[in-house]
Amino acid sequence: MTDSTAPTVKAPAETFRLGRLLKNLPGVSYILIAMIVVFAVGNPRFLSGVNLSNVSLQAALLMMLALPMTLIILTEGLDLSFGALLGLCGVVIASLLLAGWSVIGAIAAAMVVGLVVGLINGFLISYLSLPAFVVTLGTMGLCEGAALIITNGDPIGGFSPSIQAFYQSSVFGLPTPVLAAVAFYALLWMVLYRTRFGNYIFAIGGNKDALRLAGIRADFIHLAVYALCSVTVALSAVLMIGRMNTAHPTVAVGMEFEAIAAVILGGTSFEKGQGWLFGTVLGVLAITILRNGLNLLHVEPSLQVVCVGVLLIVALLIDGGRKRSVQGAA
Amino acid sequence: MGPLLKLINIEKSFPGVRALKDVSFDIHAGEVHVILGQNGAGKSSLIKVLCGAYIADGGSIELEGRTIAIRGPADANAVGIAVIFQEFSLAPYLDIAQNIFLGRERAFTKAGLIDKKAMHAAAKRILEELGLDYDTRTFAGDLGVAQQQMVEIAKALSQDARILVMDEPTAAISDRESERLFEVIERLKKRGVAIVYISHRMKEIMALGDRITIMRDGALVATFLRDEASAEEMVRLMIGRSLDGIPHRTPATPGKAILTIENIKTGKLSDISLEVRAGEVVGLAGLVGSGRTEVVRAIFGADPVASGSIRLNGSALKATPDIASRAGIALLPEDRKREGLALPLPVRENATAASLWRLFKGGWFKPGAAEKVCADLISRLNIATPSSRQIVRNLSGGNQQKVVLGKWLAAGSQLFMLDEPTRGVDVGAKFEIYQLIDNLVKDGAAVLVISSELPELIHLCDRAYVMRDYRIVGHLDRDNLSEKAILDLAVQQ
Repeated sequence: MTDSTAPTVKAPAETFRLGRLLKNLPGVSYILIAMIVVFAVGNPRFLSGVNLSNVSLQAALLMMLALPMTLIILTEGLDLSFGALLGLCGVVIASLLLAGWSVIGAIAAAMVVGLVVGLINGFLISYLSLPAFVVTLGTMGLCEGAALIITNGDPIGGFSPSIQAFYQSSVFGLPTPVLAAVAFYALLWMVLYRTRFGNYIFAIGGNKDALRLAGIRADFIHLAVYALCSVTVALSAVLMIGRMNTAHPTVAVGMEFEAIAAVILGGTSFEKGQGWLFGTVLGVLAITILRNGLNLLHVEPSLQVVCVGVLLIVALLIDGGRKRSVQGAA
Repeated sequence: MGPLLKLINIEKSFPGVRALKDVSFDIHAGEVHVILGQNGAGKSSLIKVLCGAYIADGGSIELEGRTIAIRGPADANAVGIAVIFQEFSLAPYLDIAQNIFLGRERAFTKAGLIDKKAMHAAAKRILEELGLDYDTRTFAGDLGVAQQQMVEIAKALSQDARILVMDEPTAAISDRESERLFEVIERLKKRGVAIVYISHRMKEIMALGDRITIMRDGALVATFLRDEASAEEMVRLMIGRSLDGIPHRTPATPGKAILTIENIKTGKLSDISLEVRAGEVVGLAGLVGSGRTEVVRAIFGADPVASGSIRLNGSALKATPDIASRAGIALLPEDRKREGLALPLPVRENATAASLWRLFKGGWFKPGAAEKVCADLISRLNIATPSSRQIVRNLSGGNQQKVVLGKWLAAGSQLFMLDEPTRGVDVGAKFEIYQLIDNLVKDGAAVLVISSELPELIHLCDRAYVMRDYRIVGHLDRDNLSEKAILDLAVQQ
């Protein structure tokens, strides 16, 4: 008997690395390659150093939202409050700086705001089992409203230039925001794939009861995912206000949808804790490159939005088609 | 040596139900103790008391002669009790090693980071002890059911389980995989693990069980050593109920064939042929898991049919549930709460669900017509409900079942397939349902009924087909329809 059943399980062993990689390679990776080729041919400036640095800077902020969004979606959740929270934290930092706070103090205050919002989301979703969509839609309104109240609806400018200086700085010729995004990716990768907390994120999405039965406080872990992710969003506000040198209360509202699109493009599913952190990086790059390339080709902004939507659907069609063919063959 | 674990006079009640009545049960190290019983016999409640999901209302539990308290899953884990439920507790996108050690990664964690190498090596060691050569990096979701089960066993062993409870472990796996499981069970026995094994497959029970305990209606009926009783005797004890005092149905005179199926094959079923005529009640007998439900699902088009022919009133039927229901086939599913009713909706919406297409004449919903249909059903079936607006969830089991029946009456069905029509229904409502079935055939309908209660089947049916291992293994006409005859066919010798 040992011999008769062993081969069926052993097969994946030999093809493990390549097999799993190819199987998990989301449709977006092919689209990404195709887009790079098309845009490079369509406009030679696309591959210029200036433009590539531009693309990576644009990608950096979206990355800061899409990476934590990946963790949340892995728990079969969703966080619609990211964009509004980002705006609120930008406003908080800017107004505290104007009020004479130190840079560190202002950022710490924003992180507290992020923590509180994340705790509210996490508590309602995890302990009270309320649907994440509705809960975070609510906190999205809270954050947006609070930002408008603080600012009376006007952008805040004229705060300490050190934030913008940070955004425009570079280390070894690489823009600091890009390095920050890369470092953030490395950190989250370690957390997700090398720590107990990471294991539990996959387990919450896959089978929360199993985690509970293993004697882990699954609800608390679930809450912590939301809380920690919101704190990282608060930190990202530094990049946002650094880029524009103003804090606009509602400028980031809607970014959560781009972040969600990037996660889904990257092949992470809303079900059972199926997903891949690096896929999200590909998703972010696809969206950013599409926008940038269309800009270079002088496509109207409104049409660009249409293109992002088409990109999302096409990528899902590719993944869905492949999944069906795999199931058909099995 | 005394028993490893002993349950003494365990009691457990829920509002309205005594789930466990004075149950005493013990298990020795290195023994397989089988619990045999029908759905609702109390097996699951007993397991849940063992693993700490329920807290017993009365009685005591002794481990090696010392009284212990199991007040939650953590207590059960601590004394070495592990349960492998039918619903696995694996996370599909964690790999085998991560699943085995879920919640206990601390042993492999250095400076906050998991030492994957050590974890995979440890997982590999445990699997090897079970004689399994799996790649521990495979996602649990990519494993087959049998392999997932092995991973569950490995998980239990890695927690030093001394008492392993398996809930119908062979329900979803092939014979070859089952043999592999039995080998593993033999290994575990040699290591001194006590195994509580829940099943109703007589063949494997007779092969595996050192002792066999039979439960019925929440009480322990008997405990045998393996060779003390025959399979038939055990099944009779498991089912053993009588319908004393119910008048027998008057046999109807059957008319033309309503349903004729020939050599149906599906993923599971093979060679199913049967006929149901107008004005007769035909039974589909067999043990749970013999393929009875699959037959009616295939006829209704709920599961795909690979080959064979289904004819309704003589013309070929390629059914989907939609086509089948419009063609006059009714399915009263086994699980009425999930498949038969929309629980949060009122009686009216449920009762008209299968005939809505008739109430939309001209494209507009006619509330008045629906109300009339519903009021008619309520009085005709004697459904105890304050109004047609009552939420179905609030009705009793028997009245819920009547709503399901009514749904198909309103649709004008002529073939009624009833899967366990009286499960979870009180005695009074049971008789009313029998009466309704009787009225149906008197009006010329054809009825195909599945029941695990043999006396009920014998009472209701004009004749019956008996199933075993997804095949029809026999046909009994009215004169030969007896508990013994059914069991002889249904139980593998």
